Amino acid sequence: MPLCFAKENTNYTISRITGKDEVRSHLRNLGLVENETISVKQSIAGSLIVEVKGVRIALNKDLARRIMI
Amino acid sequence: MIKIALAGNPNSGKTTLFNALTGSSQYVGNWPGVTVEKKEGRLKGQPKIVIQDLPGIYSLSPYTPEEVVTRNYLIHEKPNAILNIVDASTLERNLYLTSQLLELNLPVVVALNMMDIVRKQKDKIDVEALSRRLGCPVIELSAASGQGIDEVSKAAVAAALGKKTPHVSEFSKPVEDVLSSIEVLLPKSEESRWYAIKVFENDAKVLDELKLDPASLKKINVLREGLETEMDDDAESIITDERYTWIAGILDGVYKKNRTHTLSISDKIDKIVTNRWLALPIFVLVMGLVYCLSISTIGTYCTDWVNDVFVPEWCQANMTTFLESLHASDSVISLVVDGIIGGLGAPLGFVPQMAVIFLCLSFLEDCGYMSRIAFIMDRIFRRFGLSGKSFISFMVSTGCGVPGIMAARTIEEERDRKMTMIVTTSMPCGAKLPIIALIAGAIMGGADAWWIAWATYIFGIFAIILSALILKHTKMFAGEPAPFIMELPAYHWPRVNNVLRQTWQRCWHFIKKAGTILFVCCVVTWFLLTYGFTADGFGMVDEVGQSLMAAIGGWIAPLFAPLGWGNWQATAASLSGFVAKEQIVSTMGVLVNVLDETGEDPALWTAVMTMFPSAWAALSFLAFNLLDAPCLAAISTLAKEMNDRKWTWFAIGWQMFYAYTVALIIDQLGTWFTGGGFGIGTAAALVILGWYLYMIFKPMKKSVPSRVGMNAA
Repeated sequence: MPLCFAKENTNYTISRITGKDEVRSHLRNLGLVENETISVKQSIAGSLIVEVKGVRIALNKDLARRIMI
Repeated sequence: MIKIALAGNPNSGKTTLFNALTGSSQYVGNWPGVTVEKKEGRLKGQPKIVIQDLPGIYSLSPYTPEEVVTRNYLIHEKPNAILNIVDASTLERNLYLTSQLLELNLPVVVALNMMDIVRKQKDKIDVEALSRRLGCPVIELSAASGQGIDEVSKAAVAAALGKKTPHVSEFSKPVEDVLSSIEVLLPKSEESRWYAIKVFENDAKVLDELKLDPASLKKINVLREGLETEMDDDAESIITDERYTWIAGILDGVYKKNRTHTLSISDKIDKIVTNRWLALPIFVLVMGLVYCLSISTIGTYCTDWVNDVFVPEWCQANMTTFLESLHASDSVISLVVDGIIGGLGAPLGFVPQMAVIFLCLSFLEDCGYMSRIAFIMDRIFRRFGLSGKSFISFMVSTGCGVPGIMAARTIEEERDRKMTMIVTTSMPCGAKLPIIALIAGAIMGGADAWWIAWATYIFGIFAIILSALILKHTKMFAGEPAPFIMELPAYHWPRVNNVLRQTWQRCWHFIKKAGTILFVCCVVTWFLLTYGFTADGFGMVDEVGQSLMAAIGGWIAPLFAPLGWGNWQATAASLSGFVAKEQIVSTMGVLVNVLDETGEDPALWTAVMTMFPSAWAALSFLAFNLLDAPCLAAISTLAKEMNDRKWTWFAIGWQMFYAYTVALIIDQLGTWFTGGGFGIGTAAALVILGWYLYMIFKPMKKSVPSRVGMNAA
């Protein structure tokens, strides 16, 4: 399912990041890669603050939809 | 000269380490051709060693101009060593950049920063083992408390003098095989492995640079596509995965996490600060406090002190006494004391207010709240087609447009960055405050007009949003803003040293401008006002009405007649505003013969009001001068940042057009509603207003997103 439906403060594993563009490469450079643990720390109307590799990253709704867990 | 490059992720404590290593011997500039800040400094006690502060980046990919600048520097200018600062509390992610730096065939030293946090979290890092596996020295550091700075400094110097080549990361066999096959096809160089990886990733900038022959390119394409099919992924992702796998291998047994998954303090603060309902009220409160500190309390006290005590009593009085003791002539005393010190004193008066705004903004930036503001505002701004990152630029512009324009650098999408730079200078900056005070006073006739300043800020934000909306509905700017991705650093207490240093650098920029451009402007304005053509020919004139300024103003004035202030005085004041906005008030003061630089003298208010036929005309004058093309300093920054003449002219053209039409609408419709006649001007105002509304409300065109981060060469 897409990350936007994730429960807060629960660990999930990233299964896929859809789309093939520079944004995807940038996400990967920031540590959002397949098989990595991700948890949602805060969700505001679809925009998320997530934790990956001990780092907090803010994402907007469109991106949250592209990350499959 | 030995050069050590300081590289690392954003928020890894790089600025703190740089400040600690170099002290006050810093040079701040720009990388040639791009809009990325370049900082250099000499190592403390070692004048022959230069530390080059590279921009904070996550990778050496070409996603942002910062990344391109960094890798070009490392590959082509070859520093003697790379000092890689690594945030040990997020070691895995930080080593991603390290894995790429190790491929450059340069001596690398890793500084493990934030070791105090790691110890507090009871995590364990075996530093010696890590150093062995990375093949380079690893030094523990707590840059904030100053622990380990000397060791880092010594290790970096030793690495720069020695010629140890760090070993490279090793990928899985199929990838290594392809990489070595590619390496053979490339021109021989010391960084051939790095080039091989970039060529494999199909990095357009590197491929352009290498100019490979078609046969080799074809072979490389076959190799790449073969592995892509085999591993069912694109080349870039394959490399990313290989790097993270390599890092996992390096950290296995070296890094013991003891972290329990509870909410950190930072998360708890975020629960409140970025809360769906509380986020905006908290933001308004914080900004209210910032402007309360800078505009109505501390900033104003200091500004008043500069204007009333420092300039007249200390500088002017002492200079007069000094010049009199030298028996200087009256005209020399007048030129130096009134002309030069008086003229430069006006902009100096804003420095305290601006300093307080910059101090507050630096504080918000350093403690981590600024990135949250971008995140909160993104939800709202996205509806208008702007990224939340634009908001940081707008906020900084309330202090001064120059750093405001530069703050747009963090926006990845080229189109949005340009749009932000075009609209951001419409915010009422520090230099526009006296105009606001002056016109507010003139309209209200001395009644307490404190709310006009606030109304002007709200007007500024609305004007920006509307301007952005109109631009967004044109073909040039259509399209979604780049998706929002931003690392949120953990909240921390700002380093006093960093905050003060940044505030000082921004203020110094303004003072320098005041000392150069404004100085020339004062002399030119003085010349234009005192000389002119009379019946006796060219010479000094007794009345300003005969001056050159009156002639030029009178010639252009009809252009502004539809705005309600087609007289030469108001026109001349607006013209002087292009040199510097604060000049408008002093020009008006000279024109009506009341000397006051703050725009708060009731005598000046009454005198100024005689320039305008109605309150609407005065408002239209204010709107025009708030929204029109910014001062010379901001325009030159804009030109530098746009890096394209056509775009600069478009920006200036749009700003002038927008300012003119908004002022036209205010004056014409205001006059009409309050019982004035209906004329051609009123009709024109209605047509333009209708067109703006159409542009704002028509459905947005979708377009292919433009390439991101392309303004770097």
